[in-house]
Amino acid sequence: MASAAKRLEVLSGAATPQIAFDGVTLVLGGKTIIENLSLGVQPGEFLCIVGASGCGKTTALRLAAGLYQPTSGKVNFDGQPMREPRREIAIVFQDYGKALLPWRTAAGNVSLALEAGGMTSAERPARIEELLRTVGLPDHASKYPSEMSGGMQQRLQIARCLAQEPKTLLMDEPFGALDAMTRQGLQDEVLSLVAASGATVIFVTHDLDEAIYLGDRVIGLLPHPGRIGIELPVNLPRPRDQLSTREHPEFLRLRRQLFDFIKATEQ
Amino acid sequence: MRANSAKALVLPLAVLVAFEVWARATHLQSDSLAPPSEIVMALFGAFADLSILAATRDTLFSAFAGLAIGTTIGLAFGIAFGISDTLDRLMEVTVEAIRPIPSIALLPIALIALGFGYRMEIVIVAFACVWPVLILSRAAVRSIEPRLMEIARALRLPPAQRVWKIIIPAALPRIFVAFRLSAGIALIVAVTVEIAINPLGLGAGIMLAQQALRPDLMLAYLVWIGAIGYALNILLVVAQNRLFGRAALSGDGA
Amino acid sequence: MNRAALLWRVASFAVAAGFVALWQLIANLKLVSPVFLPGPDRAWASLVRGFSSGDLWSKLAGTLEHMAYGWLAASIAGIAIGAIIGSSRRMRTYVAPSLEFLRPLPVSAIIPVAIAMLGLTQAMALFVIAFGAIWPIMLATIHGFAAVEPRLYEVARSLQMSRLAVIFKIALPSASPDILAGMRLSLTVALILSVVCEILAGLDGLGHWVLLSARAFRSADLFAGVILLGVTGYVTSVAMSLAEHRLLAWQAAQR
Repeated sequence: MASAAKRLEVLSGAATPQIAFDGVTLVLGGKTIIENLSLGVQPGEFLCIVGASGCGKTTALRLAAGLYQPTSGKVNFDGQPMREPRREIAIVFQDYGKALLPWRTAAGNVSLALEAGGMTSAERPARIEELLRTVGLPDHASKYPSEMSGGMQQRLQIARCLAQEPKTLLMDEPFGALDAMTRQGLQDEVLSLVAASGATVIFVTHDLDEAIYLGDRVIGLLPHPGRIGIELPVNLPRPRDQLSTREHPEFLRLRRQLFDFIKATEQ
Repeated sequence: MRANSAKALVLPLAVLVAFEVWARATHLQSDSLAPPSEIVMALFGAFADLSILAATRDTLFSAFAGLAIGTTIGLAFGIAFGISDTLDRLMEVTVEAIRPIPSIALLPIALIALGFGYRMEIVIVAFACVWPVLILSRAAVRSIEPRLMEIARALRLPPAQRVWKIIIPAALPRIFVAFRLSAGIALIVAVTVEIAINPLGLGAGIMLAQQALRPDLMLAYLVWIGAIGYALNILLVVAQNRLFGRAALSGDGA
Repeated sequence: MNRAALLWRVASFAVAAGFVALWQLIANLKLVSPVFLPGPDRAWASLVRGFSSGDLWSKLAGTLEHMAYGWLAASIAGIAIGAIIGSSRRMRTYVAPSLEFLRPLPVSAIIPVAIAMLGLTQAMALFVIAFGAIWPIMLATIHGFAAVEPRLYEVARSLQMSRLAVIFKIALPSASPDILAGMRLSLTVALILSVVCEILAGLDGLGHWVLLSARAFRSADLFAGVILLGVTGYVTSVAMSLAEHRLLAWQAAQR
């Protein structure tokens, strides 16, 4: 759980944003994917982005990661322009099957991030063990990704991202391909991991409940081209709980509001 | 697509032009190299006196005869092994023992048994062509939809008809892939045998040109052999697409 | 191996032994002139004689040496060139079609050119073997490098990995199944071209030895040499399989 002071900071908007989109437009192959998007994400904030398919939510995430450069406008990280991906920003991809190295074991995959960070081979094993324990995979260090279930592979990807010790965690529909039970378990784990590390999160999902359950704030994008359509602060108490939070009147109110928004954009 | 095929021509054209310019600038005198213009002239010359055409006929005759024999043998064994698991398992060691013999190692045996000429070349080509056809047709027969075999049984087709009416048509696309591979091998082996020892065909032609210190003619032969290899490959790929559509190409992994 | 598989294996060896016996029978009855067809007993005797006198060892070593040097040179160059071409889209557009054009060229046709340039020497043999063996490796490497999952490159970018690290930690391992398959094909090519070069240039090796035996109508020696070449082909391909199995253990897990 982030400290109360930090949370207050977030909600009052006192701190400078960690990630700032300033009038960002992205044109790919002659098509405007994102138009004039301005958006600030405060340090420690958990921002969720929802929207119908084709609204550019994944693209927005890739801009934040530095994997795309805006056609016009600016994306800043800690006040500096983003020119290329950086190690303080970790991305959890939706297609975990493609984002893990199939020829490395679980330990090896975590190790990749540590190697890239320049950690010596003597220090690595202890850190790898710690990270695998953190994501609940302590007994699977020597398994190959192909020998693991989807949920386990996604945990592994999260472990690799945590190994980067990121200031910002970008998550692109990370649980989209998982079954409902696995999904809820991982939602709670991500919440507690993020609370422990104090990382800023941008979380893209098409699941409205998931967005409200996880976020401090939810942004709904309008499609063709992508732009902000709705912005909702989520004033639900933390820590959140799969049963009580989802039954909270505020949760239901936000859910209704978002649902109506999405419904309207699809017409 | 068109832009890309134009780009594909940039490199070879640039190399040819650079080589021509360099050869002329240095007044190249060499036993192994000749400028492209002289190679083209030599090729025209070899066409004019029909020598290269006769050599092509000899090589292709040996290659295709060997291919036909090798494919027939390979297909017969491949289908038999594919149908009968018992036979396949019993022959496994024998096949594994013979297959790794490099085809060209049979050259001296063929030489003392058959002497120089078409026959020994055809035998060696046939030996080389057996294996891809055998292996791939065996796999093709094994992977035939079991439902088809059940139909054959339900219809009480006699074994010969089962092979002709069900197995060969069902396995044909993949068998053709094997045939295509073998055709490439046939040409390579034929030319290799001619270069190594047999005094006929394109391989002998290119060796003679080398020994006569005619680099232009030697390289003309090289270009021509390459063109034949390329044309044969294109022809078979086109035939495969025509006959079986793109689906057959998926069996190309081997 | 379970019991049934073992029994099949034994039966299969028995069938092979039956063929050898048939061969012996044909030779004993002189159905084919012994000048062309020695019995397996004579071929075996020749093998034993050759190895105990050390003759065959040196021939075998010669062939293995030609094959190994050419193949290794082809592997190193093929992987390096293939990696450079495969990892750049521009190189692929401009260079790959030319390579595809050259692929069906019967590589042995380069032998006269190599002889003209280098003479009937070891260098000529090495050049020819390496030139022939490089194609499958290079083309497989290009394919493997071009087929690396783009997502992995994004992972590498977000980890700010160096170019060298990306090649050695992402691209090469990802392309390794293709590369090893190419190296396996090349092994056969290298053996064939070693034999051809030995025949043509009279270089010390099994190829030269079988040709001399044929010329002198020493059919037992000839068959011994051919058998030894078959064993060489078999052993090298088994060794390659084992190496592949080792290196690609992660792929077995995938299936």
